[in-house]
Amino acid sequence: MQRHPNQLKGSLYWIAASAVGLLILNYLVATDALDWYYAGVLSTAGIYIILTTSLNLINGITGQLSIGHAGFMAVGAYTAALLSVHYDTPFVVNILAAFATAAVAGLVIGLPTLRLKGDYLAIATLGFGEIIRVVIQNLKVTRGAFGIVGITWVDNLFYTEIVVLLSVVIIWRIVNSATGRALIAIREDETAAETMGINTTLYKVMAFAIGSAFAGVAGALYAHRMTYISPNDFTFLKSVDILVMLVLGGLGSITGAVVSAFSLTLLPEFLRFIDEWRMVIYPLLLVVVMLFRPQGLFGTKEIDFGALGAAFRWLKSRFGGAVGSAPQRTVETASPSSGMQTEVQTSSLQPAGVQPDLSGQPGSAAVAPAEPSSRPFLEVNGLSIYYGGLKAVSDFNMSLPEGALHGLIGPNGAGKTTVFNMLTGLHPPSEGEIRFRRKRIDRLPPYRISSEGVARTFQNIRLFKDLTVLDNVKTAFHMNVGYGFGASLVRPPSYGVKERRVTSEAERLLEILGLQERRMELARNLPYGEQRRLEIARALATRPRLLLLDEPAAGMNPQETASLMELIRWIRDEFALTILLIEHDMSLVMRLCERITVLDYGVTIFEGTPDEVKRNPRVIEAYLGQEAN
Amino acid sequence: MLRIEDLHVYYGGIHALKGINLTVAQSQIVALIGANGAGKSTTLNSICGIVRVESGTIEFLGKNITNVPSHHIVSMGLSQVPEGRKVFPAMTVNENLLMGAYSRRDRAGVREDLERVFALFPRLKERRNQTAGTLSGGEQQMLAIGRGLMSRPKLLLLDEPSMGLAPLLVQEIFRIIKEINGQGTTILLVEQNANMALSIADYGYVLETGKTVIQGPARDLAQNEDVRAAYLGG
Amino acid sequence: MSRVVASLLLCAVCILLALLRKYRTHVVSNPALKYSYYPALILLAALGINYLLTALGANKVYTFQQAVYGLSLGSVYALIALGYTMVYGIIRLINFAHGDIYMVGAYAGYYAVTVMHLPFVPALVIAMVASSVLGVLIERIAYKPLRNSPRITLLITAIGMSLLLENVGQKLFTSTPRTYPTIFKASYEVFGVSVDQSRIIIFAVTVLLMIGLQYFVNYTKPGMAMRALSQDRDAARLMGINVDRVISVTFAVGSALAGAAGILVGIVYPQIKPTMGIMPGLKAFVAAVIGGIGIIPGAMLGGMIIGVSENFVTAYISSSWRDAIAFGLLILILLVKPSGLLGKSVREKV
Repeated sequence: MQRHPNQLKGSLYWIAASAVGLLILNYLVATDALDWYYAGVLSTAGIYIILTTSLNLINGITGQLSIGHAGFMAVGAYTAALLSVHYDTPFVVNILAAFATAAVAGLVIGLPTLRLKGDYLAIATLGFGEIIRVVIQNLKVTRGAFGIVGITWVDNLFYTEIVVLLSVVIIWRIVNSATGRALIAIREDETAAETMGINTTLYKVMAFAIGSAFAGVAGALYAHRMTYISPNDFTFLKSVDILVMLVLGGLGSITGAVVSAFSLTLLPEFLRFIDEWRMVIYPLLLVVVMLFRPQGLFGTKEIDFGALGAAFRWLKSRFGGAVGSAPQRTVETASPSSGMQTEVQTSSLQPAGVQPDLSGQPGSAAVAPAEPSSRPFLEVNGLSIYYGGLKAVSDFNMSLPEGALHGLIGPNGAGKTTVFNMLTGLHPPSEGEIRFRRKRIDRLPPYRISSEGVARTFQNIRLFKDLTVLDNVKTAFHMNVGYGFGASLVRPPSYGVKERRVTSEAERLLEILGLQERRMELARNLPYGEQRRLEIARALATRPRLLLLDEPAAGMNPQETASLMELIRWIRDEFALTILLIEHDMSLVMRLCERITVLDYGVTIFEGTPDEVKRNPRVIEAYLGQEAN
Repeated sequence: MLRIEDLHVYYGGIHALKGINLTVAQSQIVALIGANGAGKSTTLNSICGIVRVESGTIEFLGKNITNVPSHHIVSMGLSQVPEGRKVFPAMTVNENLLMGAYSRRDRAGVREDLERVFALFPRLKERRNQTAGTLSGGEQQMLAIGRGLMSRPKLLLLDEPSMGLAPLLVQEIFRIIKEINGQGTTILLVEQNANMALSIADYGYVLETGKTVIQGPARDLAQNEDVRAAYLGG
Repeated sequence: MSRVVASLLLCAVCILLALLRKYRTHVVSNPALKYSYYPALILLAALGINYLLTALGANKVYTFQQAVYGLSLGSVYALIALGYTMVYGIIRLINFAHGDIYMVGAYAGYYAVTVMHLPFVPALVIAMVASSVLGVLIERIAYKPLRNSPRITLLITAIGMSLLLENVGQKLFTSTPRTYPTIFKASYEVFGVSVDQSRIIIFAVTVLLMIGLQYFVNYTKPGMAMRALSQDRDAARLMGINVDRVISVTFAVGSALAGAAGILVGIVYPQIKPTMGIMPGLKAFVAAVIGGIGIIPGAMLGGMIIGVSENFVTAYISSSWRDAIAFGLLILILLVKPSGLLGKSVREKV
């Protein structure tokens, strides 16, 4: 097992660059070329870099608006200060202790508040930040408003820079792993993320705790640098400072955060002559940036050696070298339109527990409806849901055998999507039960239902719009990446192998759905039909056994619809799926589905084969509308 | 009365309308049918100035109203009953209706029209002081239509009035639409319930992926093989 | 014996209040009850507290004295909170600059009283107009171009505007605090509780402005347009409502109320400085959330609750815990009833 060459190179570049930077810095300090004052300014810049990157993890990456970061910095600073003053513990211990206490504080505060969204969360974090400060102000041990003096002075720039570097690298690794993809998915669309099997609550709290922990580390560095701290160092304005740095750099960009924190700390030193107006210019700058470049200087993009590397790789591939990015080309794949009989290597995509004899035989008889003796694959009994007294769906029953291709039709507003929402746990039903492979799933949260093997698409398309097509699918592999959080930090050789497997499997799915050419485009730039196909690819990446498609053909032209129909039938056979679909395009439903349930006004009015449905007078009256007299 | 020529609209990065052409003549009912996502609602919203038109012209009563801000449209005699009803849930029935007359200044006329709407929908009169959020789906649809009538429009745009309603209510709503038309209001009706819509319309257009693909007198459309296959499940 | 009776009465009052709440929709459809509902509620609550205090054997005069202080402070919070709640209801923005608009109102009032030697009422009008113009300008320049941007962009712009106003204020008014001249000197004694004339005025003006605002929002055309806009923006546009104009009106009215709060705070707590808007601004937003964001009586209720509890914390615990109580209450409310005391819960549409 070896590391992915590009990844290795990327890390090497970074390590080399940082080492050179550190050496130069130390040389400058040692030779007095850089006087102690500027060394101090650089330390401060380092502290702000940690604060900004850690806030970026919460605000930029996970999309949870926190504006009370100074509170966690205070927790870390006071932990280090008290340890230093009372027990004279070494610097490293204090840093680690600050990390731990701030993490605990983040956990305690994050657990209740992260249930809130958007502005409410912002105001709650602000509130907690203030409360932390008031508590510190009132505790005896923290000596109230007087603050703590006599903290050991750590003036070694080298130590500071090492801590800064470590913090940034750890956050970088978290962001660039399956964990990071889950966090970004939460930022992009929390509901969709949940249906990809991501435990959004857990990940939000985790991001919040980790971000807080690093704020604590920054606080400890600050305490050791200043040797004196008081509650007034950690006011709301401090939180705003950090936020401003983050936003100017670009929410979501780690390098942006680093560059912005660095330059905004240094800038005033060079702009002494405007010092008097600094506090007017800063907010003005902030407003102007928001008005004219709201995504910040870097947007969500990163500057790295990737651009260089990409050019290099391109050259190499032109002149025929075996390069690391090759795997996707070695895979023999077939798109269903070009021929359904082609053999496709799908073994690694098979959901767990599928008989192996299915894998090589697309369209085999094994996926025909199961024998009547076996219990149904999906069984729904008496499902009802009320919205504020109104019954949106009442007494919905359904029983699907394994491998079925079932249609759910009815006029707009009949409650079809509501049924999907109940099946996927987004709206817990008021009454009734859902059994999937004999297991009751109606009280499970959406991410658990997803891990049971239920995937869906959305009527109003809920892609992760600002991610690339490829990343959309890779995110959905969340449950199946095969490595844990620890591995993404340590990055053993197997990590690279598993990451590459995720990429190649994602690319294969894209190929199957005819989106391979688009894989580096942002999802939002795809035309309608391709967005719908990408949603199907993303759903398949969760390795489902039951796939719910909500109006997959909406917005497609007849040709697209026809090939979609082929595709749906083909993936059902290929992936041994059971499919339930909502559709308005009658020609598609009638030709594709084996059985159809007709819903009207929240009530099931008929279930039967397409022919029976077409002939049933109640269906004709309710759905197809009365004939003109 | 209303003429749309080669209308193009981009909606969230998607080319949603790719050349809509349609005409609505005085005192007709014109039906616009098509699948979800075909661009029916977008067409109505571009007429009302809610979405920006990229190219093409919309003419109403001989005046070009392309990209005219929505708040000028209503006073010109054009009002829309939006998809999903969109009544103001925390306002009473009475207040909702008065909001419909927002652009008008003639108090006496408004009072008169209020009575006219209550005559059309006696159920609303019973519930005039109830908040709209507590009404049933059918009553909300009636309220939405009533609200649309309060601006005394010359042309009423109706977006899926049958959505989510029980079959009996749908018939009731369509009967009322016919009645409103009989009183002299021209109607452009967007519907998914194609048969129902074509049964009361004079003329119809079929929309497909942002284009008008078939048009003709409603009676002919209802018999058209292609239309039947795609939308009537034939 | 009397304590048992008091406790029982208190229980009865609580049950009555709970019942009233449950049937509120029916009760308030009757206009006579509609306008006596909140006063009655307050009266009942006051009676309940009185009984409770008797039961606990507390020093009633001291407690009521603190309550009076609390209500006048709460009036300031309430007035600021009204603007927050209106703006939030319409464009879903926490207008962080709102607290600084209040600061500008305080300075406008200060200059009107000291430099122009105007009496209270014209000074009040000047403060309200100045704040109003500033509020509309901020909206036009900084918020309007971002109307279709992500909420976070708008929020950060608001934070930026707030900082900008504070720092420009430091330059313009200098950071030296100014002191309002005493306008109302009289003080009365009611059952041993001393009530300053200025405190009566601050409370009365607040209540009057709130009633005026209620009338404006419920019965005038621009007010109804505001409500329509906050409930469904697209539908409101279809009614022919000029969205930009209604948003401007909202900022104008909300900022005028903040300006009124600015001058009122000056007559009771005479020191003003450019950073005076930060904390009251934050706490007023908290008040709006506690009462139920977007709900006018909610903002009033929230403001009063925060004002009174801050005074009680100062009186019975320690003034250094004062700043924590508002945020503590906020978090409690957010966790127990995120839609606020008077709010209704809503469900996210998938």
